[in-house]
Amino acid sequence: MDKLTELLNRAISRRKFVAGVGVTAGATAVLGLTGCSSSSKSSVTPVAYTDADVLNFALNLEYLEAQFYLYAATGTGLQAADTTAGSASPFKTVGTVTLGSAAAVPGLTAAQQDILNEIAYEERAHVRFLRSALGTAAVPMPSIDLSFFGPLALAAGITKVATGAGSFNPFDSFDDFLVGGFIFEDVGVTAYSGAAGLISAAGVAAGYLTAASGILAVEAYHAGYIRTSITGRAIAAGSAIAYPQITAANLVEDLRATLTVGDSAAPSTSGSVETLLTLPTNLNTPSAIVAASPTNAVGFARTVNQVLHIVYGSATVGVSSGGFFPNGTNSVFAKTTA
Amino acid sequence: MIGIQNRKDGTNEMANQETEILDDVITSSRRKMLALGIGSLAGLAAGVFASTAEAASYTDADILNFALNLEYLEANFYYLAAFGTTIDVSNPASTLAGAPKITLSGTVGTAGTVSGGSKVPFTTIPVASYAIETAVEEGKHVQLLLSALGSAAVAQPMINLGTSFPALATAAGIPNGSSFSPYANDDDFLVGAYVFEDVGVTAYHGAASLLTVPANLATAAGILAVEAYHAGLIRTTINYLDPTGTSIASYTNLISTLRASLSQAGLLGVAPGPYDTNPDDFGLATFSVSLSSNVTATRLTDADQTNEIAFARNTTQVLNIVTGGGAVNNGRAVSPAVGVFFPAGMNAGPNGFK
Repeated sequence: MDKLTELLNRAISRRKFVAGVGVTAGATAVLGLTGCSSSSKSSVTPVAYTDADVLNFALNLEYLEAQFYLYAATGTGLQAADTTAGSASPFKTVGTVTLGSAAAVPGLTAAQQDILNEIAYEERAHVRFLRSALGTAAVPMPSIDLSFFGPLALAAGITKVATGAGSFNPFDSFDDFLVGGFIFEDVGVTAYSGAAGLISAAGVAAGYLTAASGILAVEAYHAGYIRTSITGRAIAAGSAIAYPQITAANLVEDLRATLTVGDSAAPSTSGSVETLLTLPTNLNTPSAIVAASPTNAVGFARTVNQVLHIVYGSATVGVSSGGFFPNGTNSVFAKTTA
Repeated sequence: MIGIQNRKDGTNEMANQETEILDDVITSSRRKMLALGIGSLAGLAAGVFASTAEAASYTDADILNFALNLEYLEANFYYLAAFGTTIDVSNPASTLAGAPKITLSGTVGTAGTVSGGSKVPFTTIPVASYAIETAVEEGKHVQLLLSALGSAAVAQPMINLGTSFPALATAAGIPNGSSFSPYANDDDFLVGAYVFEDVGVTAYHGAASLLTVPANLATAAGILAVEAYHAGLIRTTINYLDPTGTSIASYTNLISTLRASLSQAGLLGVAPGPYDTNPDDFGLATFSVSLSSNVTATRLTDADQTNEIAFARNTTQVLNIVTGGGAVNNGRAVSPAVGVFFPAGMNAGPNGFK
């Protein structure tokens, strides 16, 4: 409950952070933009880490994404064999999944079901790939709370007219599922962009960077699907009132921007790692499918801390758990340090 | 304008001082990509002919210039489709959209003209708005790379955005391919865009491990993400318009098959790299996957079907796609590689592109 209170308090002031979108990015040197973001993280993260730690951090996020998409697509989650601890992992305990309302999304068309199946399959493939690449070093699945969507939506200010505040559930319908996916997808893209700079020269030579880049691309395909779907369906509906999910998605962006201010590293303090969706109403204006710097159209990177603030649902520095990860992540990076 | 980072000691100090100019990058960052052992230019590494091993050593500037050639191609396509102009000309439509007017400041190589292309008579808001957004973003990529490369930037080469499309459509087996134009209507525009987007992803992915300066890598990763957003956008939209795969979605399979074939030829007979497979391209086909039960799924991403990691192509593979096979002739890499979208080849620095 303290977490919820904190989220709500943060949400109240979110607008002022989002108002700064683009300003910091515009002031940042051309090619240094994403480099600055990713480099800052490593200088402010006071933990020793290995390439395996970087991949294991990504694995924690993939566990979360895979569970969400698998439940949404099929009503069941990862198999036990996909969640176990490697023999050399310092983390031994396999977590549990708090389901909340998690269930197969009802009312899908055949085409929608095929896409959900695809994303679920791909996220599970990422879990399996990372576990395979890490071998005995693979951390087990941490405890995951899929009921956190409700408190998160409430903190973001998402209300459903029909059922009232706090009733948002991404497993209710295809359109609400899109908002649920939206919470993760841009974050996954930026997490991999940020992590790329943490991989050592030896890790680059070992192919980790290429692998991470390839997963980054797939996450961006997914994000492209989610953002294109929300935008396209809002255009078809004709207005944000007729399609409240586009407003909900932007409220999620506002909240993410607010949560990441705990990390003082530029450019996140202004919320400039978010690109709000737009609703084009004529043939002459651009959409905003891509989340990228408005200056040079380079995709954003988030630091480990910025990612943790979002998935923990907490802007507080020094927090090790919360939100989607009630017992924290199985990672040397588990505690936010900035 | 380039941020130089040192990650050997783990401190990764950030520096984006104006003093760290690209010339430093060019002279200091030469990497023997063959030593990486991760598949980069694997085809050339096989020593198809003796001189290739030496040629296959690129600087960061070479890699960024390779990307710049591709961005010239993509940006002009989207500018023409969205605004009816090339990237170096502004008009009310491009100005309204916030698309940068590009000063063609690159001078390395031979400057060429852009032929073909015209504004698409869009009738649907989603496709029109996506075209405009993508044009703006690709224009900014050109601007960014020109700025970063400075005096080392290659000139815009000769680009064919007219007859190249029906030639490619015919080769792919698209019905009535000889009369195909991506500028005819919303649907055909999406098919034209599909030709480019996944290729951009594989090119940046393949290049990522070749870059030696961390800030360049970070930027390339960021552009890679944007190209994949675009590719996801195009695939998603085609999927929405043709959910059963009876028209434009089926064309994506034909195009992907052609690209995979050209890419495979670019390997010059050796095995693909670790994040490339044969075939290395898939359209929006539906296939069977095992989740809690066997279900069907639609290929939303262009990635290998086991690990779901996007493909990484080397420069010869990418060149072979955009030149329609001009990069490989009789099993050998040729230089300059010419044809289809690049009738006079890409512009390159002293190392050339094969």
